[in-house]
Amino acid sequence: MAADADAHGSTTIGTADDPVLETRGLVKRFGELVAVDDVSLRIPRGEVRSVIGPNGAGKTTLFDLITGVLAPTEGSVRFAGADVTGLAPHERVARGMSRSFQLTDVFGGLTVRENVRLAAQAARDDGFSPADWLLRPTGSFVDVLADAEAVLERVDLADRAGERAATLAYGDRRRLEIGIVLATDPDLVLLDEPTAGMSREETAATMALVGDVLADRTLLLIEHDVDLVLDVSDRVTVLDRGSVLASGTPAEVAADDDVQAAYLGGSR
Amino acid sequence: MASALVEQLLNGLTIGMVYVLLAAGLSVVFGVMDVINFAHGELFALGAYFGYAVATVDGGGFWAALVVAPLAVAVVGAAIERYTVRPLYGRNPLYHILLTFGLVLVLKDGIELVWGPRPKELSAPAVISGTVEAFGFTYPRYSLFVIGIGAVLAAGTWLALNHTRYGLVIRAGSMDREMVTYLGIDIDRYYTLVFAFGAALAAIAGLVLAPRNGVDPGMGDSVIIPAFVVVVLGGLGSFRGAVVGGLGVGVVQTVMRSYVPVLEGLVVFLLMIGVLLVRPQGLFGDPEFEEAGDLFTASGGVLTDARRRQLGVAVVALLALAPLGSGVLYSPFLLNSLFVTVLTWALFALSLDFVMGYAGLVSLGHVLFYGVGAYVTVLVVMHAVPSVVLALLVGVAICLPLAWVIGQLSIRVAGVYFAMITLGFAELFAQIPNKVTQINALLATPWLPTWLRLPALRGNRGLFGIDPVYGLTGGPGVGAVQVVGGVDLLYYVVLAAVVGSYLLARRLMQAPFGSVLQGIREAEQRAEFVGYDVTAYKRRAFVVSGGLAGLAGGLQALADGGVSTSYLAWIQSGKVIVMTMLGGMGTLYGPMLGAGAFFGVKEFLLPVTEQWQGVLGVLFVLFVIFVPEGLVSIPATVQARFAGGPSGGTPVEEPDPVDREVGD
Repeated sequence: MAADADAHGSTTIGTADDPVLETRGLVKRFGELVAVDDVSLRIPRGEVRSVIGPNGAGKTTLFDLITGVLAPTEGSVRFAGADVTGLAPHERVARGMSRSFQLTDVFGGLTVRENVRLAAQAARDDGFSPADWLLRPTGSFVDVLADAEAVLERVDLADRAGERAATLAYGDRRRLEIGIVLATDPDLVLLDEPTAGMSREETAATMALVGDVLADRTLLLIEHDVDLVLDVSDRVTVLDRGSVLASGTPAEVAADDDVQAAYLGGSR
Repeated sequence: MASALVEQLLNGLTIGMVYVLLAAGLSVVFGVMDVINFAHGELFALGAYFGYAVATVDGGGFWAALVVAPLAVAVVGAAIERYTVRPLYGRNPLYHILLTFGLVLVLKDGIELVWGPRPKELSAPAVISGTVEAFGFTYPRYSLFVIGIGAVLAAGTWLALNHTRYGLVIRAGSMDREMVTYLGIDIDRYYTLVFAFGAALAAIAGLVLAPRNGVDPGMGDSVIIPAFVVVVLGGLGSFRGAVVGGLGVGVVQTVMRSYVPVLEGLVVFLLMIGVLLVRPQGLFGDPEFEEAGDLFTASGGVLTDARRRQLGVAVVALLALAPLGSGVLYSPFLLNSLFVTVLTWALFALSLDFVMGYAGLVSLGHVLFYGVGAYVTVLVVMHAVPSVVLALLVGVAICLPLAWVIGQLSIRVAGVYFAMITLGFAELFAQIPNKVTQINALLATPWLPTWLRLPALRGNRGLFGIDPVYGLTGGPGVGAVQVVGGVDLLYYVVLAAVVGSYLLARRLMQAPFGSVLQGIREAEQRAEFVGYDVTAYKRRAFVVSGGLAGLAGGLQALADGGVSTSYLAWIQSGKVIVMTMLGGMGTLYGPMLGAGAFFGVKEFLLPVTEQWQGVLGVLFVLFVIFVPEGLVSIPATVQARFAGGPSGGTPVEEPDPVDREVGD
């Protein structure tokens, strides 16, 4: 997969100092409610960044602003060196941004293989002629099929490739979603509570999978499980009531008094 | 001049009040339980008929009717809610459109069965006849009566919604049904009440309009579309919107009739389309409104790929041989009328399913492409080239860009609003054949070339007298093969076009383009987030669909030897939706099967009963409630029921995950 990165220009991103993602003064208001209040983030290439915060802190809204589901009231989003604030979600995906959802979202009625194939097909979208796109059977696009098979192997779903996605167990569906994200060959991956509702073992397995298959990408992670976050993250951003309460290495954040008070409840 | 204007205004307000009464019921029912009630027009008609019955019976009279008819219709409404609408709560609101469309057929046929097809007259009592004079103007008493009663009822409804406990529960229920039930309130009882109340308002509207416009079985049809326009214009679920929209539409419509006659009948739809393009949620609608519930699509049946292909080939072979039996085993009529009709409608249903089953767009205006295809095909044969094949191609070629433009405008709005805006476009086009002279007068300006003007379309009389096999026989080479005669030749053209279109659609579904559409059908958000431009894909599907629908219309017009305004009537859009649902959305052969079943049942019922539409309506209502996935889902359901016993039984093979038809 990594060899395909050229397909959508990830080589043009520039030096390691350039952040992959940068938000400047993001604000989102719903009427009176300020869901996201002046959030500025700089995520350098290759970093694993976690966003934590109590319920209603604005984490998912922040993801929606970054990925283009919602338009910000104020502020801007820069991705891979360009302003993407006005772009639609699919345009941001085409530039190398991919996300999973808090409630798992896969193509339920299609096979596991077709789920991943659709994502791989999108990643190679530029390479097809209109005639191919309209009339050539999908089974004859060997590159796309090979990409899909490779992803299925990596997320360990190859032996279930013929099953309907809707029939998979919860943990497997989560894995499939990570597979879909991986198949779009993203530079930046946003995962919204990837282990929500999972048992301890499932959580460990999922985080191992994320660490394994997404290790070479930049990761932005929403998590509830603070222990987990402190283990896997390079840096942690704490949101509280829409604004950034603290930001730093896991150790710095864990030691921060404000964070202790607001989020960790002083118990640690 | 001033008195003419006052009269116009009064007339406008009178009809506007009737719209308010209709729209208030529709809108409140939608706001509270997300139900789009197409049968509302029939409840309106039922009010007039019940009223007529009470008014003409001994000891009855208009005033008694005004009390009895709404109560009786309220009972009918309550029964409809309890037994047909209730099982569908929680499904996509589009199922209610389909259900109530079936109810339209049932109620309309019921009315004809009881009261006959001929119009009835109902006269107003003397007290509200004649005119009164004030401030130097003359007013018809009857208009004042309608406006008065409408104002009182509208004010009463508003008070009941906003200042009573009932109103409070109803408003709360419309926001969060579950929360209200947790509070220990039996919300279902309130739903029945709201539905019955809406029905009663419609009945009053029908009755008060009866002395002015008469009572006839078509009265429901003629008001339901304007009533919906009012509701959509004002914003679905908004009572204020219904009042403002109703009065506004009534006045604008009446004033336009006298001052800008070319726009009469067009202006309400232009208004609706304009408003939706600027404010997709209507004037007073809730912008946060979101639809719940999925459309049920059928997927692979119980047959294997090979078996299915054999079956398909066998069906086509049988159809290809069908002309041989004509005149021997069955009358030529069966072949050239029924078979051709089934085939063209199968194509029409296929085209609709392309957008409805695969892209999730319920187009209520698909008849637009069907009708335009038909008109263009006939016009080309008549005026340009005497070649059927070329004419059909021109028809398709015109429908494709037309679909692109209409798709571009309509796909920005979602769900029910999309259904209504496409209906609006279709109704605009439906008016054109009757307005050629006026439109040409508008186009008769020096800076527009004359070829832009419309040809004569002869309105409701239509264009007839074309030879359906122009260019097919007598040409070099072709004339030598005279195995089949002229009419049979058209049959083969139709068969080839339909089979060819099916194969094309199937091919598209197997290619990347179709695979993306299936992805959108399954999970729209996911499709967007793997990087597909969902809106663009929907628009492309709409274009393909418009082209196929145009081809279907052209073929049917050739078979009929001409075309008339019935090719553009909205009821045809309803029929094609019925067929698509009946067969099974989201498969390509299902809707085609549905078309066959629809006409098969009709042909079977026709000699048995005059009320075949009603029987068809009942069947359809049962289908929507019990078999929402359509005919194609029945074998799998039956197999699952009998194969999977409590002991496990024989292991049922996992149903094929992909739609088998396109997944090989």
